[in-house]
Amino acid sequence: MGARMLDDDIYIGSFLDLFNVRFAPTPFSGTAEFFGGIEEMTELQKQFEIFRAKRPFSEGAALLGLGGLYNARAKNRWRDLLENLPDNGDQKISDALAANFRKEPPLPCYMMAHDSRPKGENVVKIYEGDRPLFYLEQTYLTISLPMAPRRKHPAKKAKKKK
Amino acid sequence: MSDGADLAAVRAGITEYYTGKVKKFGATPLGVDWTCVATQQMRFVQLLRLCDFASPFSLNDLGCGYGALLSYLDWRHADCAVDYLGVDLSQAMLTRARRLWRDRSNVSFAHGHASPRLADYSIASGIFNVQLDQPRDLWERFVVATLDQLHGSSRRGFSVNFMRAPPDGAPDRQGVYSTVPQRWADYCAAQFAAATEVIEGYGLREFTLIVRPSLGT
Repeated sequence: MGARMLDDDIYIGSFLDLFNVRFAPTPFSGTAEFFGGIEEMTELQKQFEIFRAKRPFSEGAALLGLGGLYNARAKNRWRDLLENLPDNGDQKISDALAANFRKEPPLPCYMMAHDSRPKGENVVKIYEGDRPLFYLEQTYLTISLPMAPRRKHPAKKAKKKK
Repeated sequence: MSDGADLAAVRAGITEYYTGKVKKFGATPLGVDWTCVATQQMRFVQLLRLCDFASPFSLNDLGCGYGALLSYLDWRHADCAVDYLGVDLSQAMLTRARRLWRDRSNVSFAHGHASPRLADYSIASGIFNVQLDQPRDLWERFVVATLDQLHGSSRRGFSVNFMRAPPDGAPDRQGVYSTVPQRWADYCAAQFAAATEVIEGYGLREFTLIVRPSLGT
Protein backbone atom coordinates (compact mmCIF):
# COMPACT_ATOMS: atom_id res chain seq x y z
CA MET A 1 0.00 0.00 0.00
CA GLY A 2 2.96 2.24 0.59
CA ALA A 3 3.49 2.02 -3.15
CA ARG A 4 0.30 3.98 -3.67
CA MET A 5 0.62 6.55 -0.90
CA LEU A 6 4.34 7.14 -1.53
CA ASP A 7 5.57 10.08 0.56
CA ASP A 8 2.03 10.60 1.84
CA ASP A 9 2.10 7.31 3.74
CA ILE A 10 2.63 9.40 6.87
CA TYR A 11 -0.99 10.56 6.56
CA ILE A 12 -2.54 7.09 6.54
CA GLY A 13 -3.14 7.28 10.27
CA SER A 14 -4.98 10.57 9.93
CA PHE A 15 -7.27 9.12 7.24
CA LEU A 16 -8.07 6.20 9.51
CA ASP A 17 -8.76 8.66 12.33
CA LEU A 18 -11.18 10.64 10.18
CA PHE A 19 -13.19 7.50 9.58
CA ASN A 20 -12.98 6.47 13.22
CA VAL A 21 -14.30 9.79 14.48
CA ARG A 22 -17.19 9.96 12.02
CA PHE A 23 -18.21 6.36 12.81
CA ALA A 24 -17.47 6.52 16.53
CA PRO A 25 -19.91 5.77 19.34
CA THR A 26 -22.21 8.76 19.63
CA PRO A 27 -21.50 11.06 22.57
CA PHE A 28 -24.58 11.67 24.72
CA SER A 29 -26.27 8.84 22.83
CA GLY A 30 -29.99 8.66 23.31
CA THR A 31 -30.59 12.33 24.01
CA ALA A 32 -32.73 14.18 21.53
CA GLU A 33 -30.43 17.16 21.45
CA PHE A 34 -27.12 15.51 20.73
CA PHE A 35 -26.16 13.48 17.76
CA GLY A 36 -22.92 12.78 15.98
CA GLY A 37 -20.77 9.73 15.38
CA ILE A 38 -22.55 6.56 14.31
CA GLU A 39 -26.00 8.09 14.88
CA GLU A 40 -25.21 10.87 12.41
CA MET A 41 -23.94 8.29 9.94
CA THR A 42 -27.07 6.21 10.44
CA GLU A 43 -29.29 9.16 9.54
CA LEU A 44 -27.16 9.97 6.49
CA GLN A 45 -27.33 6.34 5.39
CA LYS A 46 -31.12 6.27 5.80
CA GLN A 47 -31.50 9.41 3.74
CA PHE A 48 -28.93 8.85 0.99
CA GLU A 49 -28.03 5.14 1.10
CA ILE A 50 -24.39 6.11 0.85
CA PHE A 51 -23.18 2.51 1.23
CA ARG A 52 -24.88 0.04 -1.06
CA ALA A 53 -24.35 -2.63 -3.67
CA LYS A 54 -22.40 -1.44 -6.70
CA ARG A 55 -21.15 1.66 -4.92
CA PRO A 56 -17.69 1.06 -3.51
CA PHE A 57 -16.61 2.44 -0.18
CA SER A 58 -14.24 4.92 -1.84
CA GLU A 59 -17.24 6.77 -3.35
CA GLY A 60 -19.04 6.93 -0.01
CA ALA A 61 -15.83 8.11 1.63
CA ALA A 62 -15.61 10.96 -0.88
CA LEU A 63 -19.21 12.01 -0.12
CA LEU A 64 -18.38 12.03 3.58
CA GLY A 65 -15.20 14.02 3.13
CA LEU A 66 -13.04 11.25 4.58
CA GLY A 67 -10.09 12.28 2.45
CA GLY A 68 -9.09 15.14 4.70
CA LEU A 69 -9.17 18.88 4.29
CA TYR A 70 -5.93 20.25 3.05
CA ASN A 71 -3.76 17.85 1.10
CA ALA A 72 -5.24 17.10 -2.32
CA ARG A 73 -2.38 14.81 -3.34
CA ALA A 74 -2.67 12.68 -0.23
CA LYS A 75 -6.46 12.60 -0.60
CA ASN A 76 -6.21 11.38 -4.19
CA ARG A 77 -3.65 8.76 -3.28
CA TRP A 78 -5.84 7.56 -0.41
CA ARG A 79 -8.77 7.21 -2.78
CA ASP A 80 -6.54 5.34 -5.23
CA LEU A 81 -5.50 3.01 -2.43
CA LEU A 82 -9.13 2.30 -1.50
CA GLU A 83 -10.14 1.76 -5.11
CA ASN A 84 -7.39 -0.80 -5.53
CA LEU A 85 -7.85 -2.85 -2.40
CA PRO A 86 -7.34 -6.51 -3.29
CA ASP A 87 -10.13 -9.00 -3.80
CA ASN A 88 -12.81 -6.34 -4.39
CA GLY A 89 -12.11 -4.98 -0.91
CA ASP A 90 -13.50 -1.53 -1.72
CA GLN A 91 -16.97 -2.97 -2.37
CA LYS A 92 -16.70 -5.46 0.48
CA ILE A 93 -16.28 -2.59 2.94
CA SER A 94 -19.32 -0.84 1.50
CA ASP A 95 -21.36 -4.05 1.75
CA ALA A 96 -20.28 -4.59 5.36
CA LEU A 97 -21.19 -1.03 6.33
CA ALA A 98 -24.56 -1.29 4.57
CA ALA A 99 -25.31 -4.52 6.42
CA ASN A 100 -24.28 -2.91 9.69
CA PHE A 101 -26.62 0.03 9.12
CA ARG A 102 -29.51 -2.37 8.63
CA LYS A 103 -29.05 -3.58 12.22
CA GLU A 104 -30.81 -1.95 15.13
CA PRO A 105 -28.76 -0.31 16.46
CA PRO A 106 -25.78 -0.32 14.10
CA LEU A 107 -22.39 -0.87 15.67
CA PRO A 108 -19.83 1.93 15.70
CA CYS A 109 -17.12 1.18 13.16
CA TYR A 110 -13.37 1.18 13.52
CA MET A 111 -10.85 1.16 10.68
CA MET A 112 -7.28 -0.02 11.11
CA ALA A 113 -4.51 -1.67 9.12
CA HIS A 114 -2.69 -5.01 9.25
CA ASP A 115 0.48 -6.32 7.69
CA SER A 116 -0.35 -7.71 4.28
CA ARG A 117 3.00 -9.43 3.69
CA PRO A 118 2.40 -12.84 5.32
CA LYS A 119 0.70 -15.35 3.08
CA GLY A 120 -3.08 -14.96 2.98
CA GLU A 121 -3.04 -11.55 4.66
CA ASN A 122 -3.42 -9.39 1.57
CA VAL A 123 -7.18 -9.03 2.00
CA VAL A 124 -9.58 -6.63 3.73
CA LYS A 125 -10.57 -8.17 7.04
CA ILE A 126 -13.91 -7.43 8.65
CA TYR A 127 -14.77 -8.39 12.21
CA GLU A 128 -18.22 -7.91 13.67
CA GLY A 129 -18.55 -7.51 17.41
CA ASP A 130 -14.86 -6.85 17.81
CA ARG A 131 -13.21 -4.81 20.58
CA PRO A 132 -10.27 -3.21 18.83
CA LEU A 133 -9.56 -0.64 21.55
CA PHE A 134 -8.71 -2.15 24.91
CA TYR A 135 -9.33 1.15 26.66
CA LEU A 136 -12.96 1.37 25.48
CA GLU A 137 -15.60 -1.08 26.58
CA GLN A 138 -17.24 -0.81 23.23
CA THR A 139 -18.07 -3.35 20.55
CA TYR A 140 -17.36 -2.33 16.98
CA LEU A 141 -17.55 -3.44 13.42
CA THR A 142 -13.84 -3.47 12.68
CA ILE A 143 -12.42 -3.08 9.20
CA SER A 144 -8.74 -3.78 8.68
CA LEU A 145 -6.98 -2.74 5.49
CA PRO A 146 -3.99 -4.71 4.19
CA MET A 147 -0.85 -2.60 4.08
CA ALA A 148 2.85 -3.07 3.59
CA PRO A 149 5.82 -0.75 3.63
CA ARG A 150 6.97 0.83 0.43
CA ARG A 151 9.66 -1.22 -1.27
CA LYS A 152 12.93 0.55 -1.61
CA HIS A 153 14.19 0.80 -5.16
CA PRO A 154 17.39 -1.20 -5.65
CA ALA A 155 20.37 1.09 -6.03
CA LYS A 156 21.07 1.86 -9.65
CA LYS A 157 24.23 0.32 -10.94
CA ALA A 158 26.85 2.81 -11.85
CA LYS A 159 27.60 2.89 -15.55
CA LYS A 160 30.94 1.60 -16.50
CA LYS A 161 33.24 4.16 -17.93
CA LYS A 162 34.58 3.25 -21.27
CA MET B 1 -22.91 52.90 16.55
CA SER B 2 -26.42 52.84 15.11
CA ASP B 3 -28.23 49.55 14.67
CA GLY B 4 -27.66 49.76 10.92
CA ALA B 5 -23.93 50.30 11.37
CA ASP B 6 -23.76 47.45 13.89
CA LEU B 7 -25.41 45.04 11.50
CA ALA B 8 -23.24 46.24 8.64
CA ALA B 9 -20.20 45.40 10.75
CA VAL B 10 -21.62 41.92 11.46
CA ARG B 11 -22.19 41.34 7.75
CA ALA B 12 -18.70 42.57 6.94
CA GLY B 13 -17.29 39.97 9.32
CA ILE B 14 -19.40 37.24 7.71
CA THR B 15 -18.30 38.33 4.26
CA GLU B 16 -14.66 38.19 5.22
CA TYR B 17 -15.04 34.78 6.83
CA TYR B 18 -16.76 33.09 3.90
CA THR B 19 -14.62 34.80 1.29
CA GLY B 20 -11.61 33.32 3.06
CA LYS B 21 -13.24 29.88 3.07
CA VAL B 22 -14.09 29.82 -0.62
CA LYS B 23 -10.67 31.16 -1.60
CA LYS B 24 -9.07 28.37 0.37
CA PHE B 25 -11.34 25.44 -0.50
CA GLY B 26 -13.12 26.53 -3.69
CA ALA B 27 -16.63 25.52 -4.70
CA THR B 28 -16.85 22.58 -2.30
CA PRO B 29 -18.72 21.93 0.97
CA LEU B 30 -15.58 22.98 2.83
CA GLY B 31 -15.65 26.26 0.90
CA VAL B 32 -18.96 27.06 2.59
CA ASP B 33 -17.85 25.62 5.92
CA TRP B 34 -19.69 22.28 5.85
CA THR B 35 -17.86 19.05 6.56
CA CYS B 36 -18.97 17.09 3.51
CA VAL B 37 -21.47 16.71 0.69
CA ALA B 38 -23.65 14.33 2.68
CA THR B 39 -24.25 16.64 5.65
CA GLN B 40 -24.66 19.64 3.33
CA GLN B 41 -27.37 17.80 1.42
CA MET B 42 -29.01 16.52 4.59
CA ARG B 43 -29.66 20.16 5.47
CA PHE B 44 -31.24 20.75 2.06
CA VAL B 45 -33.51 17.76 2.63
CA GLN B 46 -34.84 19.34 5.81
CA LEU B 47 -35.07 22.93 4.56
CA LEU B 48 -36.92 21.91 1.41
CA ARG B 49 -39.66 20.21 3.42
CA LEU B 50 -41.09 23.71 3.20
CA CYS B 51 -41.74 23.45 -0.53
CA ASP B 52 -44.51 21.81 -2.51
CA PHE B 53 -42.76 20.21 -5.47
CA ALA B 54 -46.04 19.30 -7.17
CA SER B 55 -45.95 22.50 -9.22
CA PRO B 56 -43.33 25.05 -10.29
CA PHE B 57 -42.29 27.74 -7.83
CA SER B 58 -39.76 30.48 -7.25
CA LEU B 59 -37.12 30.10 -4.56
CA ASN B 60 -34.73 32.52 -2.90
CA ASP B 61 -31.59 30.95 -1.44
CA LEU B 62 -30.12 33.41 1.07
CA GLY B 63 -26.44 32.76 1.76
CA CYS B 64 -26.35 30.61 -1.35
CA GLY B 65 -22.58 30.19 -1.47
CA TYR B 66 -21.59 28.61 -4.77
CA GLY B 67 -25.13 27.39 -5.41
CA ALA B 68 -24.77 23.85 -4.06
CA LEU B 69 -28.54 23.69 -3.62
CA LEU B 70 -28.90 23.57 -7.42
CA SER B 71 -27.02 20.27 -7.58
CA TYR B 72 -29.33 18.84 -4.99
CA LEU B 73 -32.45 20.10 -6.83
CA ASP B 74 -31.13 18.54 -10.04
CA TRP B 75 -30.59 15.27 -8.28
CA ARG B 76 -33.80 14.89 -6.34
CA HIS B 77 -36.31 17.30 -7.85
CA ALA B 78 -35.39 17.47 -11.52
CA ASP B 79 -39.03 17.09 -12.53
CA CYS B 80 -40.06 20.35 -10.86
CA ALA B 81 -39.25 23.72 -12.45
CA VAL B 82 -37.70 25.97 -9.83
CA ASP B 83 -37.03 29.63 -10.58
CA TYR B 84 -33.93 30.08 -8.43
CA LEU B 85 -32.27 33.22 -7.08
CA GLY B 86 -29.15 32.85 -4.97
CA VAL B 87 -28.13 35.76 -2.75
CA ASP B 88 -24.82 36.05 -0.96
CA LEU B 89 -22.70 38.61 0.85
CA SER B 90 -19.45 37.40 -0.65
CA GLN B 91 -18.58 38.48 -4.18
CA ALA B 92 -15.90 35.79 -4.31
CA MET B 93 -18.57 33.18 -3.59
CA LEU B 94 -20.86 34.62 -6.25
CA THR B 95 -18.08 34.63 -8.83
CA ARG B 96 -17.75 30.87 -8.37
CA ALA B 97 -21.51 30.39 -8.36
CA ARG B 98 -21.97 32.27 -11.61
CA ARG B 99 -19.12 30.36 -13.24
CA LEU B 100 -20.51 27.04 -12.09
CA TRP B 101 -24.08 27.66 -13.21
CA ARG B 102 -23.58 29.98 -16.17
CA ASP B 103 -25.33 27.65 -18.63
CA ARG B 104 -28.30 27.00 -16.44
CA SER B 105 -31.69 28.57 -17.19
CA ASN B 106 -33.97 29.93 -14.45
CA VAL B 107 -30.97 30.64 -12.25
CA SER B 108 -29.63 34.01 -11.19
CA PHE B 109 -27.51 35.38 -8.40
CA ALA B 110 -27.51 38.67 -6.54
CA HIS B 111 -25.06 40.31 -4.18
CA GLY B 112 -26.27 41.52 -0.81
CA HIS B 113 -27.81 40.58 2.49
CA ALA B 114 -31.43 40.45 1.36
CA SER B 115 -33.29 39.15 -1.63
CA PRO B 116 -34.23 41.86 -4.13
CA ARG B 117 -37.35 39.95 -5.14
CA LEU B 118 -40.46 38.38 -3.67
CA ALA B 119 -40.49 34.61 -4.21
CA ASP B 120 -42.78 31.77 -3.26
CA TYR B 121 -40.27 30.37 -0.81
CA SER B 122 -36.95 31.30 0.78
CA ILE B 123 -34.40 29.13 2.48
CA ALA B 124 -31.17 29.91 4.31
CA SER B 125 -28.76 27.18 5.32
CA GLY B 126 -26.17 27.74 8.00
CA ILE B 127 -26.20 31.52 7.93
CA PHE B 128 -26.80 31.93 11.66
CA ASN B 129 -24.03 29.63 12.90
CA VAL B 130 -20.77 31.52 12.54
CA GLN B 131 -21.06 34.17 15.21
CA LEU B 132 -17.30 34.65 15.36
CA ASP B 133 -16.47 37.23 18.02
CA GLN B 134 -19.76 39.16 17.87
CA PRO B 135 -21.63 39.63 21.15
CA ARG B 136 -24.63 37.35 21.42
CA ASP B 137 -27.18 40.17 21.67
CA LEU B 138 -25.87 41.79 18.51
CA TRP B 139 -25.86 38.46 16.72
CA GLU B 140 -29.47 37.92 17.72
CA ARG B 141 -30.35 41.33 16.30
CA PHE B 142 -28.77 40.12 13.08
CA VAL B 143 -30.94 36.99 13.27
CA VAL B 144 -34.05 39.08 13.83
CA ALA B 145 -33.26 41.38 10.91
CA THR B 146 -32.63 38.42 8.64
CA LEU B 147 -35.79 36.56 9.66
CA ASP B 148 -37.79 39.74 9.05
CA GLN B 149 -36.30 40.01 5.56
CA LEU B 150 -36.97 36.36 4.81
CA HIS B 151 -40.57 36.79 5.87
CA GLY B 152 -40.92 39.95 3.79
CA SER B 153 -39.60 38.31 0.64
CA SER B 154 -41.49 34.99 0.82
CA ARG B 155 -45.10 34.47 -0.21
CA ARG B 156 -45.50 30.88 0.93
CA GLY B 157 -42.97 30.67 3.72
CA PHE B 158 -39.32 30.24 4.54
CA SER B 159 -37.02 27.82 6.34
CA VAL B 160 -33.76 28.26 8.22
CA ASN B 161 -31.54 26.13 10.41
CA PHE B 162 -29.70 26.68 13.67
CA MET B 163 -27.11 24.80 15.68
CA ARG B 164 -28.75 23.13 18.67
CA ALA B 165 -27.60 24.45 22.05
CA PRO B 166 -25.67 21.85 24.06
CA PRO B 167 -27.42 20.20 27.00
CA ASP B 168 -27.50 22.23 30.20
CA GLY B 169 -24.08 22.89 31.56
CA ALA B 170 -22.13 21.87 28.46
CA PRO B 171 -20.02 24.65 26.99
CA ASP B 172 -20.93 26.14 23.63
CA ARG B 173 -18.37 25.99 20.85
CA GLN B 174 -16.30 29.14 20.61
CA GLY B 175 -17.55 31.47 17.89
CA VAL B 176 -20.60 29.38 17.07
CA TYR B 177 -24.15 30.53 17.74
CA SER B 178 -26.42 27.83 19.08
CA THR B 179 -29.89 28.08 20.49
CA VAL B 180 -33.03 26.15 21.38
CA PRO B 181 -35.91 25.76 18.93
CA GLN B 182 -38.49 27.55 21.02
CA ARG B 183 -36.53 30.80 20.95
CA TRP B 184 -37.00 31.43 17.25
CA ALA B 185 -40.15 29.42 16.66
CA ASP B 186 -41.91 31.66 19.18
CA TYR B 187 -40.46 34.80 17.61
CA CYS B 188 -41.65 33.85 14.13
CA ALA B 189 -45.07 32.72 15.30
CA ALA B 190 -45.68 35.98 17.15
CA GLN B 191 -43.97 38.42 14.80
CA PHE B 192 -45.33 37.03 11.53
CA ALA B 193 -48.56 35.47 12.81
CA ALA B 194 -47.17 32.32 11.23
CA ALA B 195 -47.39 28.58 11.65
CA THR B 196 -44.03 27.16 12.65
CA GLU B 197 -42.63 23.67 12.49
CA VAL B 198 -39.39 22.50 14.09
CA ILE B 199 -37.57 19.53 12.58
CA GLU B 200 -34.96 17.72 14.66
CA GLY B 201 -33.39 14.33 14.96
CA TYR B 202 -31.87 14.04 11.50
CA GLY B 203 -28.43 13.18 12.74
CA LEU B 204 -26.89 16.64 13.05
CA ARG B 205 -26.56 18.85 16.09
CA GLU B 206 -29.04 21.36 14.82
CA PHE B 207 -32.68 21.94 14.00
CA THR B 208 -34.59 23.31 11.06
CA LEU B 209 -37.33 25.88 11.51
CA ILE B 210 -40.06 26.06 8.89
CA VAL B 211 -42.27 29.14 8.90
CA ARG B 212 -45.47 29.25 6.85
CA PRO B 213 -48.23 31.82 6.74
CA SER B 214 -51.01 30.89 9.12
CA LEU B 215 -54.08 29.53 7.36
CA GLY B 216 -56.10 32.25 9.03
CA THR B 217 -53.95 35.12 7.73
